[in-house]
Amino acid sequence: MSAATRRRMMRFASQLGTLFCAALLVSPALFFFLWMISLSLKLEIDNGAYPPIFIPTHIAWKNYSGVFASNNFFLYFWNSIVVTGTATLLALIVGVPAGYGIARMKASKSAIVIMIARMTPGLSYLIPMFLIFQWLGLLGTLAPQIIIHLVVTVPIVIWVMIGYFETTPLELEEAAMIDGANRWQIFSQVTLPIARPGIVVSLILSVIFSWNNFIFGVVLAGRDTRTLPVAVYNMLSFEQVSWGPLAAAALVVTFPVLVLTIVAQRQIVAGLTAGAVKGG
Amino acid sequence: MAAVTLSHVGKSYGAVGVLHGVSVDIADGEFVILVGQSGCGKSTLLRMIAGLESVTSGDISIGDRVINDLPPKDRDIAMVFQNYALYPHMTVRKNMEFGLKLRGTPRAEINEKVAHASAILGLESLMERLPRELSGGQRQRVAMGRAIVRDPQVFLFDEPLSNLDAKLRVHMRTEIKALHQRLGATVIYVTHDQIEAMTMADKIVVMHDGRIAQQGAPLDIYDRPANLFVAQFIGSPSMNILDGQFAGDGSAVFITDKGVHILLANVPAENAGRPAKIGIRPEHIMLNDSGIAARVIVTEPTGSETQLTLDVDGHELVVLIRDRVDYKPNDVLKIGLAQNHIHAFDADSGSRLTL
Repeated sequence: MSAATRRRMMRFASQLGTLFCAALLVSPALFFFLWMISLSLKLEIDNGAYPPIFIPTHIAWKNYSGVFASNNFFLYFWNSIVVTGTATLLALIVGVPAGYGIARMKASKSAIVIMIARMTPGLSYLIPMFLIFQWLGLLGTLAPQIIIHLVVTVPIVIWVMIGYFETTPLELEEAAMIDGANRWQIFSQVTLPIARPGIVVSLILSVIFSWNNFIFGVVLAGRDTRTLPVAVYNMLSFEQVSWGPLAAAALVVTFPVLVLTIVAQRQIVAGLTAGAVKGG
Repeated sequence: MAAVTLSHVGKSYGAVGVLHGVSVDIADGEFVILVGQSGCGKSTLLRMIAGLESVTSGDISIGDRVINDLPPKDRDIAMVFQNYALYPHMTVRKNMEFGLKLRGTPRAEINEKVAHASAILGLESLMERLPRELSGGQRQRVAMGRAIVRDPQVFLFDEPLSNLDAKLRVHMRTEIKALHQRLGATVIYVTHDQIEAMTMADKIVVMHDGRIAQQGAPLDIYDRPANLFVAQFIGSPSMNILDGQFAGDGSAVFITDKGVHILLANVPAENAGRPAKIGIRPEHIMLNDSGIAARVIVTEPTGSETQLTLDVDGHELVVLIRDRVDYKPNDVLKIGLAQNHIHAFDADSGSRLTL
């Protein structure tokens, strides 16, 4: 065996090893996901079968068509989009400048206060909030859910952005200051464009947490203002536990977030600041 | 273009004083270099001139305007940062245009100025690239271009070459000096590299512990250092310093603490017997068959010259010789000191003594 061949084999072996370790690490998550897909495509009889069947002989597409046909699915889907979209948008509008301010002023105490708001269990303030919303006459609308989702989205955005702004070099802002920019111009024309990857990260996280939120919806949503997680839960409670439709519904709920993450990932171009300052 | 005057400028952070009454007059079109070790306050002083740090006491004037409380944008200065500080999301062209655009300069004028600056710096082929696609030297040039287009009264440079490799640094040094000669602008330049200071400056300001140790033309400072700090800081390899005292009998002799007698040209009568330090630069010691005996410790040939480290009765002396010599360790040779080039400093204050 020549040295070159041996080297090539070594490299192949090391790649194989890396691949194996990666597969091992993600296998729990991956298995759940594959099992969900399997469940959603099987007839109810196959789902209860023992030993379990992984790849069914008959594909049960009706599980999916059932999701879309029943339960006002499109209304709930729209509700989820409105709640998550608005809550995330508001969080970005408030959170990005807030993160910038906290990072530049080194206001770590206010950052901790925001963190505490996030750590407080939702159930502890949900009931009072429910009464307030009722008193305000907002309960039949999506407004209560949008407002309360801000508790989730705003801290995420602020914390991600603090970390990001702390790493953007101060020299760039000083250069802009000498070039003649005022505070606002520095923020909008220099700092914000550089922070785009950070904004995308905080947007994705904010959407994921808001989209998957269940407890706020269970308490605050009425029949017409349900979001998707609540709708899926209701599917479970009214009939018997029918795993196929349930898994199909869960997958449909997951799908938009998955697509968003994949699309937005391209925006997170690592090293966008490379070239600004040496080694930065 | 304008003159810059620093008069008794001080800076403190709370109780900690960083700069103490610094006064410098910088003439219109002069290239002034602030040099000193890290922490001596030179960068702080530059940032105060730029308006990035507040002035605690004293006045900074550009032309006949006191600018202490003006924001940076109204000071009519441009600054080149150590780390370039190019806007990473803008092309070279956009980087250079940015300051002009903010000032509402007409489009035609912007184009003309950017074209002019890019021609001076040889950046024409790089105008549509992003900073991350440029090499270190190119980024440095863009940073200078961004300063040039603004056509400011004063250029400020904060250690602009310290991130470049040795060869490029020498090249850019020449380029910056040529640029200064071409533009005729007032330049204030900060560096810790005394060779940069010696080669580029019209005037050097040596700073030490927040004070000015000496200011003047590079060769004046080299030839007549005002104190021990400047004597040792300027020059490479640095000046040899010997402790001891002047002979008490009034003769022109310096006796080192190890008992070596060194003949001087002259010692004023009032210094007889006074404890002092004398200094001599490595190039002012030469081989001399009738001189003092010295033992070779290390020989370091650089090609153009040879650096010898010698032991003279317990004193370590560094000597630079233009000739090719081939001494081995422990060889014994004889050296002489050029009497006219011996400096003397007070043993306590370190200030220069007249010989």
